[in-house]
Amino acid sequence: MDKKYRFLQNYILLRRLVKSKNSGSFTAQKQGTMKKSCLLLLLFISFSIQPASAQNADFMQSIGKMYVVVAVIAAIFIGIVVFLIYLDRKLTKLENQIKDHDPT
Amino acid sequence: MKRFWWKALGVLILLYVFAVGLLTPIKPGIAELKVGNAKAGQTITIEAVGYNTHFAEAANSNRVWLVQGADFVLPALQVNALNENMLSLQFDLPPFLPSAKKREEFSLLFDNPIDGRFISEQTIAITQDSIDSQQGKALWSAAKVEDLSDRAGMAFPYLAQLKETIRNLYFHVSLWFAMTILFIAAMVFSIRYLRHFREEDDRKAKILTTIGLMYGVLGIITGAIWAKNTWGAYWSWDPKQNMTAIALLIYFAYFVLRNAFEDQEKKARLAAVYNIFAFATLIPLTYILPRMAESLHPGAEGNPGLASQDLDSTMRMVFYPAIIGWTLLGLWIGQIYLRAERLKAKLLDDFT
Repeated sequence: MDKKYRFLQNYILLRRLVKSKNSGSFTAQKQGTMKKSCLLLLLFISFSIQPASAQNADFMQSIGKMYVVVAVIAAIFIGIVVFLIYLDRKLTKLENQIKDHDPT
Repeated sequence: MKRFWWKALGVLILLYVFAVGLLTPIKPGIAELKVGNAKAGQTITIEAVGYNTHFAEAANSNRVWLVQGADFVLPALQVNALNENMLSLQFDLPPFLPSAKKREEFSLLFDNPIDGRFISEQTIAITQDSIDSQQGKALWSAAKVEDLSDRAGMAFPYLAQLKETIRNLYFHVSLWFAMTILFIAAMVFSIRYLRHFREEDDRKAKILTTIGLMYGVLGIITGAIWAKNTWGAYWSWDPKQNMTAIALLIYFAYFVLRNAFEDQEKKARLAAVYNIFAFATLIPLTYILPRMAESLHPGAEGNPGLASQDLDSTMRMVFYPAIIGWTLLGLWIGQIYLRAERLKAKLLDDFT
């Protein structure tokens, strides 16, 4: 119950954040949706991972602590994905700039 | 293909690291020894809890000795396999210990044809009331350890505290090594920028620092996860954790500094100088200072990341490729970033 509540709170907070930054022009709007989807993805990932790390220590200690290795690999994977999202957004910005300056 | 080969190589190496690093079994070992009071002259019962062992399968060929050094040995009176991972042992302790001390520590040496030989990390303390080291020595050196078996096949070392998490060496420690390589490369490009003032060098330095920092942050996060399940807390304010956190903050400041300047050239020059200093602080902070303090983290003796006895030849076969693999993957991501930055610079040139 508590976890669900926290999730909702975070969601509302992030939506407000996205809305406040999401102003006027076409490119900004596009970036806004991009940002929103990225944030939602991150939120989803962090939410789905929470039970594994916070739940009970017994799970992490089982099978010779193999799940610790799994968690570490998952963390690296998420880290690299987050960086790829950052790169993706950078490239989208560039594409939009090219589009805006295109004479045709 | 000509331009692509190192990316493919990086991915292949990482595939090898994941496959061998995750599939190779851990050597058999002892997780716990359950023993009551052990006094010289008594018959004691010890319950040994094994990990990855095959006690039941080996059945009557299990052999166990109490050992101290190479000289003093006592074979078990009775060895009963309760299941694959449980062994009940009985020892008939001689009336005297082989020393003049009241209390001595002994290890247990296990041997069976399937698991090979292995020694318990945990020791057993045996006490004595009356001392006769002469007779004790004679009694303890009566038996000999002979015909020990070897375990077949490749396996990673067993440490009771780490168990399977010893595999994190390829995912946590190698990430730090890759980070250092990327920071060195970044510093080289910073120096090159200060010699020739080419924008391209500044760009490369910035990108290599970004990737290095990403690895550093991932190193801290993976380290915290590992620490939580080994030392009990995500962050124990250990000198190694603190110093690396400081080193990463110094590198974060590199980007803060970059964003503080509008003028491209001023930005590049100051950033290049700062980067060289940042690297100069990284080495003492992560490689020298933590070694001078007490730490939970292994590796104070030599290598900063790992204790030398933890890294045997089978682990080296995966660990060194892992460093190369992570570095190449980082360079690949960096190259995509670099191409985006080049485009951006070209756009700025074209439209202004």
